[in-house]
Amino acid sequence: GRSRRRRRGPGALATAYLVIYNVVMTAGWLVIAVGLVRAYLAKGSYHSLYYSIEKPLKFFQTGALLEILHCALGIVPSSVVLTAFQVMSRVFLTWAVTHSVKEVQTEDSVLLFVVAWTITEIIRYSFYTFSLLNHLPYLIKWARYTLFIVLYPMGVSGELLTIYAALPFVRQSGLYSISLPNKYNFSFDYYTFLILVMISYIPIFPQLYFHMLHQRRKVLSHTEEHRKSE
Amino acid sequence: MHQRQKLRTSEHRSDLAAHGGALSMSHNDSRSFFNFSQLVLSAGQIKPSPALKHSKITYFEVEILDVQSKKQICIVDKVPPASTLLDVKHKFHKACPQWYPSRVGLQLERNGPFLKDSINIQSLAVSSIITLYFTDLGQQVGWTTFFLTEYTGPLLIYLLFYIRLSTIYDQVESRKNFRHPVVHLACFCHCLHYIRHLLETLFVHKFSEGHTPLKNMIKGCAFYWGFTSWIAYYINHPRYTPPSFGHRQVSYAALAFLMCEAGNHFINVALAHQTNSGSKTCFPSPTYNPFTWLFLLVSCPNYTYEAGSWISFTVMTQTLPAGIFAFLMVIQMSLWAKKKHKLYLKRFYPEVRRKAAMIPIIF
Repeated sequence: GRSRRRRRGPGALATAYLVIYNVVMTAGWLVIAVGLVRAYLAKGSYHSLYYSIEKPLKFFQTGALLEILHCALGIVPSSVVLTAFQVMSRVFLTWAVTHSVKEVQTEDSVLLFVVAWTITEIIRYSFYTFSLLNHLPYLIKWARYTLFIVLYPMGVSGELLTIYAALPFVRQSGLYSISLPNKYNFSFDYYTFLILVMISYIPIFPQLYFHMLHQRRKVLSHTEEHRKSE
Repeated sequence: MHQRQKLRTSEHRSDLAAHGGALSMSHNDSRSFFNFSQLVLSAGQIKPSPALKHSKITYFEVEILDVQSKKQICIVDKVPPASTLLDVKHKFHKACPQWYPSRVGLQLERNGPFLKDSINIQSLAVSSIITLYFTDLGQQVGWTTFFLTEYTGPLLIYLLFYIRLSTIYDQVESRKNFRHPVVHLACFCHCLHYIRHLLETLFVHKFSEGHTPLKNMIKGCAFYWGFTSWIAYYINHPRYTPPSFGHRQVSYAALAFLMCEAGNHFINVALAHQTNSGSKTCFPSPTYNPFTWLFLLVSCPNYTYEAGSWISFTVMTQTLPAGIFAFLMVIQMSLWAKKKHKLYLKRFYPEVRRKAAMIPIIF
């Protein structure tokens, strides 16, 4: 009884806040998309487009950290751990890899994951906005649960290639690494850490991918049944 | 006249009862015989003998369904009303040998709580057939096995690092460097801690019959063994840096460590004695032993002492990984202490009210 009441969903104030948040995020990622297109048209090539959208990308991807707070407060019915994991991996790539290792910013793999993230996030945030307003067009729902089939592998490839490209520079500069001896008897090798991160994609990516495929079957077939019954 | 006869019959009945049912033929043989015949004819009014009662015992049947598919797995029949859920689980195990009793989770409703082994079957019954839902709780492991495995690992792993295996450390460096005494002391303290835990598991603690899923054991072992490896690697490294404040820091921290170990041991002994004497009706009281005086301030002093041990160990070795481990242990033990404190508040309200859960005064 009591637990059911708590899960009924966010109150009116929380819903209003969430709508504003999702609209702002959708707008932000649209800005990034437009920025990419304009830069491409201006430059004539798709190389080194990162610099034209660097600031909005950092701002809006970091803004996604608020979503962890939303889950913790209970106004969004997702698992805190899962959301934290997803957002932190994005923030890690944005700041600890792309921003920190300047040599990697001219790589094409950066464009690969930025494009994947942009399209995914525009659809995702508009999906949440419309869901909160209870007016979800089927197109958005379809897009969210279908386009990931291409975008997800595209994003993962871009991320892995970027990390791989950053490795030699990290090794050379000893970025974020501490070695023995030191007062607190601690050592950290960022190079090894990045390799471990790349390896961790192997078990995690298929699980998430098949989970999304499973969700797709559930959500889209359910909608079709609804339509048929109407 | 009929009434008078009845009265006499009842008097005679009580007479017969007084004489153990033995017929005593008085001088009035015919009258007593008449009374006796009345007695026999009115036998229906006497309480039925035990022999007749047997056929009226209601046996229960327990139908066991799978919780997800709702399909019937088996029916356990001829369950006497006085049996407990554990007896049913044993019978179920005979019918389906792959599920031994500690692995079986039985619920009354699909989303209800798991029923305890000690529950009487009669208290569950609405009719003579009881329906229970079965969940496979997974491979189970006894508490003793659990703790023995969890504590033996760190003991051996630390020693592996201490002897400086050539695969872990560079051999040239290892042979060159002089080892600060704190490294040996740290090894001694670490081993002391885990040997004490192992001995207490074997000889002091009295575990309830329960079991725990194998998954929990693997998670616990991964945590303890992983962190021990990480800590041991740095302390026994050829490039280890001794504590900044030198011998004073080491000696004070070592002293604190030993005191916390002793305290933890005495608290565990006191708790085990309490379980032994069966007097779980009152909160454990401090004895002449000064280490048990923490019972006056705190409801879970064993966690306090354990936290103290790890913090002293960190200060003694001045190693960040040990600090991280101590931090995580303190968090974990605070959660356990809070739970236990709530339980104590319910059970022993007046005594425990002014006590903290783990850290005196603060928490």
